[in-house]
Order: sequence, then C-alpha cells, then structure tokens
Amino acid sequence: MSSGTKTQTPSAIESHPPEPKESREWLWSLILGLVILGLVATVPVLGDASALHTWTLIIMFVVLAQSWNFIGGFTGYSAFGNVVFFGIGAYTTGLMLLGNQPFWLGLVAGALVAALFAFLLGLPVLRLRGHYFAIATLGIAEAMREFVTVRDVGGGGGGLMSLPLPSLASYVGFFYAFLGLSLLCLLITVFLTRSRFGYALIAIRESEQAAEALGVPTYWYKVGAFVLSAVPTALAGGLYAYWATGFDPDTVFNVSVSVEMVLLTVLGGPGTIVGPILGAIAFEYASFQLQTSGFSLHNTLLGLSIVIVTIFLPQGILRLIREFVRKPAPGTPRANRLVEGVRRVRRFIAANGV
Amino acid sequence: MSDALSQPTGSNDSSHSDEREASCHDTPLLQLVGVTKRFGGLAAVNDLSFSLQKGEILGVIGPNGAGKSTMVNLIGGSMAPTSGAIFYQGHDINRLPPNRRAHLGIVRTFQITQPFMGLDVRENVMVGAFFGQRGLDRARALHVADEVLERVNLAHKATFKGDQITIADRKRLEMARALATNPQLLLLDEVMAGLTATEVAQAVELIQQINETGVTVLVIEHIVRAIATVSNRILVLHHGRKIAEDKPSQVLSDPRVIEAYLGERYAKRRIQEENGVSSITLEDLPQNEEDR
Amino acid sequence: MAFGQVFVNWLLLGSLYAAVALGFSLVWGIMNIVNLAHGALIIVGAYTAFWLYTQLHIDPYLGIPLTMAVLFVVGWIVQYVAINRVIRAPLLVTFLLTFGLDLLITDLIQQFFSSDLRSINTAYAGNGLDIGSTHIAFDHLIAAVIAVLLTAALNYFLTRTRTGNAILATGMDRDAARLMGISIRHTYALTFAIGAALAGAAGAMLSELYPFNPSLGGTFTLRAFVIVVLGGLGTPWGVVAGGLVFGLAETVVPLIPGVGPGYDDAIAFVVLVAVLIFRPNGLLGKPFYS
Repeated sequence: MSSGTKTQTPSAIESHPPEPKESREWLWSLILGLVILGLVATVPVLGDASALHTWTLIIMFVVLAQSWNFIGGFTGYSAFGNVVFFGIGAYTTGLMLLGNQPFWLGLVAGALVAALFAFLLGLPVLRLRGHYFAIATLGIAEAMREFVTVRDVGGGGGGLMSLPLPSLASYVGFFYAFLGLSLLCLLITVFLTRSRFGYALIAIRESEQAAEALGVPTYWYKVGAFVLSAVPTALAGGLYAYWATGFDPDTVFNVSVSVEMVLLTVLGGPGTIVGPILGAIAFEYASFQLQTSGFSLHNTLLGLSIVIVTIFLPQGILRLIREFVRKPAPGTPRANRLVEGVRRVRRFIAANGV
Repeated sequence: MSDALSQPTGSNDSSHSDEREASCHDTPLLQLVGVTKRFGGLAAVNDLSFSLQKGEILGVIGPNGAGKSTMVNLIGGSMAPTSGAIFYQGHDINRLPPNRRAHLGIVRTFQITQPFMGLDVRENVMVGAFFGQRGLDRARALHVADEVLERVNLAHKATFKGDQITIADRKRLEMARALATNPQLLLLDEVMAGLTATEVAQAVELIQQINETGVTVLVIEHIVRAIATVSNRILVLHHGRKIAEDKPSQVLSDPRVIEAYLGERYAKRRIQEENGVSSITLEDLPQNEEDR
Repeated sequence: MAFGQVFVNWLLLGSLYAAVALGFSLVWGIMNIVNLAHGALIIVGAYTAFWLYTQLHIDPYLGIPLTMAVLFVVGWIVQYVAINRVIRAPLLVTFLLTFGLDLLITDLIQQFFSSDLRSINTAYAGNGLDIGSTHIAFDHLIAAVIAVLLTAALNYFLTRTRTGNAILATGMDRDAARLMGISIRHTYALTFAIGAALAGAAGAMLSELYPFNPSLGGTFTLRAFVIVVLGGLGTPWGVVAGGLVFGLAETVVPLIPGVGPGYDDAIAFVVLVAVLIFRPNGLLGKPFYS
C-alpha cells in the first residue's frame, strides 16, 4: 500500500546484546521495607511502655504516609485533605463501639464509609486540576471538621467522643495492628509498581493526556486511587479511636495532620516503595525526640521542616541521594567526583528557583 | 450513526483513481465533514472535510499554525469540534473520549514526546498493550511489548528509563506505545522533527512496515520530502483550511501549496522565471529540518 | 431580621472580604502562587495592630499604614528567602511550602501571644448610624470604605504607574519581562510584599471588628481562595465581586430553616466546588491580570 522508493536499511542494527533483565529494584525495595518494619517490630520487646506509645504513633504516621502515596505519589494528585478519611474512620468505628458492636466490625464499617465517601467526593473533585483539586480537598477536611463539631457527632459536646477502655488491656496489640496495616500498605505499594493498575496511575501522573490516548480510562483510575488511599487511612483512624479512647474533631480532622502526611511522603520520596516509610520514621522520630526534651513546638518543627524540605529536598531524600551518586561525565578525575556530586546537587536544588 | 453519510463527500481536485486503488472497501475508515474548531475568534481548523480509506497512508502538511495538531487533537478526541462531524467506520464518534477512541483503534502520538518517567521503556509500551487492547494479562502484555520493541529497534533499551534515551528513541517509543495498542488508525504527529537524515529514513521505513501490516496511517509532517515518498495522498492545510488533497507529485507542484509554504516571494520569483527555469518541485524543498 | 439590616450587613461583610482576598489575589494572579500562608499574614497584621494599640495606644484604623509597613517587610523577607527558591517547582512543592510557612508563622505568634482570644475595644466600637431600624456600625463602615479604597489604589498602582506596569508585565510573561530588563526577583519580592501589606491591612481592620486568635488564619485563607475563584483573577475589582457574592452566601445560608450558624467553612467549600465545576473562570475572570 505504500508508494515511493525503498530507502536503504541502515546498518544501525547491532548484533543483539544479551536480553535485558527485568529490573529488580522493586525486590530490593520490598526487602528494605520488610527489614525496617521487622526492626520496628522489636520495640515492644526491647523498649519500655513510653517507647511503645511513641512508636505506635510513629507507625500510624507511616501508614498515613503510605496511603497518601497512592493518590499523591503514584497518581500525582496532591490531595491535601486526606485526614478527612482518618476522622471518618475514627468516628464511624467509635459510633459502632458505642453501639456495642465488635471492634473489628467497627473497623470494617469505618473503611467502608470512608471508601464510599472517597468515591462520592472523588467524582466531582477529581475533575479539577492542580491548585483547585488540592484546595478543594483541603476545604472538605475543614468542612467536615466543622460539621462534626456543630452536629456534635461524638455526643460529648463539640464533637467529643469518649470510648470505653479497650478489652485488649495490652497496648502491644494495637502496636502490632498498626504494624500489620503498614505491612499491608507495603505489599500494596509493591503490587502497584508491578501491576496494570499501578502502571496506569504512573502514566496518569506523568502525562494524563498520553495515558488517555493509549486507552487508559483515567477518570476512573483516579477515583480508584483516591478510594485506595482512603481505606488504610480510615483503618488507622479506627484503630486510633479505640487506642486513644477519646478524641475530638480538632484532633482527628486536623488539617496539619493532612499536610503532615504529604510532607512525610515528599520527604522520603513520593512514588517510591520505601520513601514514605523512611520519611515518616525520620520525621516523626525526630519530632518525638524534641518533644521529650521539653519543647512542645510540634507545629513549628513541622512548619520549619516543610520549608526546608520544599526548598532543598523537593523530590525527597531518595532522589537527592540518587542525584548525588549519579555517574559523572566520563573523564572526570576521581578527586573531583565529590565536588561534582555536590555541584550537581546544588544545581538540582536551584533548578526550582528564580 | 448514519451510514447514509458514509460515502465520501466534499469537493477536491484529486483524481479518485488513487483512492480506489488504495482500498477495496467503500466505507472510508475515517471521514471528517465540515469540521471547525474555534478558539475565541480564531478558527484553528476551518470547515475541514476529507476521508481516509483503509490501508492508506495520508500525509498532512502545512506551514506552522496551519491547524495540523489541532486536527489530530480533534480526531484523537482530546478536543471537541465547534461544529462538524467525525465518522469512524461510518459511526459518529464525536462524543467519545480519547480512551474509548483508542479502544476502537484510533491512536495518536504526541509531537512533544511524553514518555512515562518512572516506568522503563518496556513498561511504557506495556501501558499501550494493557489498555489499548482488552484482557491481556501481564505475561501477554510483556510479550506484545517485546515484540513491538523489536519492530521499532528499541529492544536493546527495554530497561532504560525515559531520561536515558535519545530523542530519536523517544520518538520511537511514542510509536511503540501506540503500536502496542494494536491500532487500526495511527495518527503520527510530527514524529520526524529533530531527527537526523538517517533517522528520518529509518522512520519512513518503519511507517511503511507498519502500513504493510494493515494499519492505516495519517502522518503529519514538516519534512515534506520524507512524507512525499511514503504517502499515497497528501493533504495540505493552511490557516485551518484544506487547500489541496492529491497525489504527492500533484500537490507539491501546486502553486498554491508552494506559495503557502515558501511565501509570496518565491511564488513571484517563479513567475519571473517561467520562461527559463521550470517550476519549483519536490527536489527544491529541504530534506529535513537541518537543511533549512 | 429585617431586609434592610440584612442588606447592609451583606454590603459591609462583602467589602471586608474583598480586603481579605485582595493581597491573595495579587500574588496568585502575578506569580501564580497560591499563598496558603495568607491567613497567617492577616493574623500577623491583627496582632501587630493589637500590639500598637495596647502598647502605643494607636487606633487600629489610623495605624493601618504602620501595620502595612511591618507586613511589607515581613513579606519581602519571606519572598526572598523562601518563595523565590520554589517559583519553578511543581505545584505540590509551592503549596507545601506556603503551608509550612503558615504553620511556622502561626505557631510563632502563638508562642509570643498565647492562644487566648484577643480583641480591641475602641471608644467608638458600639456607635453607628441608625436609619430607620437599620443600624450601621461606624467601625464596619470605615472598614468597608477602606477596603474599597485599597482596591481602587491597587488598581491604579498596577495600571497607571511604571512599577505597577512592570509587575503586570511580569505576571503576563516572565521571560519577556526579563528580556525587557525587569528584575524578576525584585518584582516578585515587591509583589509578595504588597500582598502581605494588604493582608496586614485586612488584619488590622479585623482586629477591631472581631475577636481573634492565632488559629483563625486557615479559615481566612480558605475564604480568600473561594473569593478569588468566584471573582476571577482578571482585575483587583474581582475580589469585590467575589467578596459580595460570597458574603451573600454566608449571610443568607444560615437563615435557611434548619441550617443555623457555624457552617462557614462548609459553605465555602460547597460554593468553591460548585463554581469550579460550573464556571471555572469565575464570574468576572480571566486567567491572569491584564
């Protein structure tokens, strides 16, 4: 069917080198993640009650970061209001507990309500791009907080909810529950990097237009990612509710927590398997250390960290390290490699500025 | 959905024999009828009508701003026409979003390459396989991807990341991704821009090979010589309108086309030289962008 | 409530909201930065006015130029040190950065001033005009007038002065402006500083009208966002339109039987999503200042 002269086949086709192996990066990341979680699992054995308390919260934040990673890191939609799912999980589970339902049922209910909410919210909101999506999600978190306060959903005045003491008298149970949830998120994340669903999300992040042109139903996948990010967040909220036995809207619908989720993932490396884990542990541990030494400056620390991270580490620690160790131009003498590495990093940072 | 409109309409200067030669089906694969796209007061595409037969290679040329990319956007579905209709296999596809059109077999590439960073070359192509075709599992998608990568000569870079391959490779990746969807109609948007002469020749050969497997191709290109050697017919756009639609040799010595491309100055000079030198034809035009 | 009173309340509230959103709109329109720390800057303005009042006995309205000057300096520093470094970063990064600044500023204020509710009670606080059964409070009226004057002044500055034109040019096409010899760094610093100063003015006015504490910042930012979305980014007068429309929603919705007060943020959110879906360019707007 074609016309015209046949051009000569250029001799550019070299003899085929050995078949390229599939990248094993995911496996190493998975192993690293398992090792880290494994190490953390020893806290109840090696640490005291206060360490248990601290690390329970740290692992909770790991879960929050990991789930934000699904919508923010993989899909590229920066939701700034994901704390709303945490709160929904907390209040739903709490209401179920107050209604004398078993705890596990309360957790499931929390997850279902959050998933439904994410679906319904996602429909209008995921049509928005960039700034608007981010603020809209922020707005819903604030609106929810207000709603729960005014309607006094918790029943204790201003939305406060008090729950009976958990029958798991040992708080070790809660610790391992959070850890288990984190492990689940880790496995889901690995699955994403190797699956059809995950490829679609990454494609959407990189070029939504191109993804659509290739047949990806981008809208529904975005909604799917959003719902996926809601479920572990809600489960964490449900666990927290019972563990804390009392909370109010300002705690579980706290916008700073929402942004903290973002920071933790961005700090570690968005869209990676281990990034959220690293970022969460690093930041939260530091934050708790500062608290115990007498400073109650959590928000100042958070704010300052955000400022520093966004200026110097906009793509996370992992990416910065990779930029540093990248192969230098051929011919660079050994001694200069370090300087070249530093220079590359500085250029990388400055690339975002005026 | 009216099949009554499935006969080619619209007037043009071409002889119809080439169209018949190119395909033995009566229903054109693609048909645009009076398609117009306005942005504010400006009509990027203005009352455009043409048809494309199955198995053809249609080249589309025109100076910058002629509306070529807008046309691709309209056919691909990322933009909706202000007026007019687009028929594919006789059906009106106006309301279909890009991903549905991809499932029907209409796939486009992008002028500014958009590889999916974070996925390697093979995974990029697998996206096309997974989502352009239905029901492929991972093993089969891998197989399709590897096959396609062989065809476009990127197999040895299958595990490379998007920022580790050359521009020519990126163009090939665009095509590979599109091919993995098993398209019926492939819209190539300036795949040869930025390539060396050798690479252009390779691209031309690839397009021919693709066409030989039964894929209908619409090639938008700036490099006129390359497109002329490979197309059955050429469509010329200028200021959003069709100004010629014919066999390559006819189109390229059409004075209106030459004027649109090279400007009035050249057209005037040609008139002056009419007594001696023959009119400007294909050979006078640059082979690729480097020659300019 | 009588219609006349509702009407007056609406006008006054709407104008006040215009002042709240003015600086935010400028920074967004010119620099394409959604400054989530805007609310915090307003709070800084409020506390500055508070300090001037309690320590130096300067009336908040008369002290507006001073407050604006302080905020101008603060804004300049913030821009130079932090924001200039992320201008070309993806959206997420600038968003995150300004939110971090918001947290930082708010927390610092809290360290200095504690989270107690503060208020300023001037001598004339309760007085006002009475037209029939409609009461127009003096302080609200002054605030509304100042808000309109500030909008007019900003408009004049941007369209009629050389510096203002430079700012507009930079907003339209950064690279072209740079080629024309305009220093982008300085222009951005100036723009942000002016935005901060305007936030300061709003804060000063609010300090006299309502009680405040450090945590109120976020709610102002959200409202500023909605107002700008409503009114569009085309011109400073957009915030007046946006402010009035938003003020209408806030005044009227609580009057609906069964709803009641306390849903301010929820109203803001619903209005926001509705506008974004149905009229993404706002009521008056174009994508940038022109």
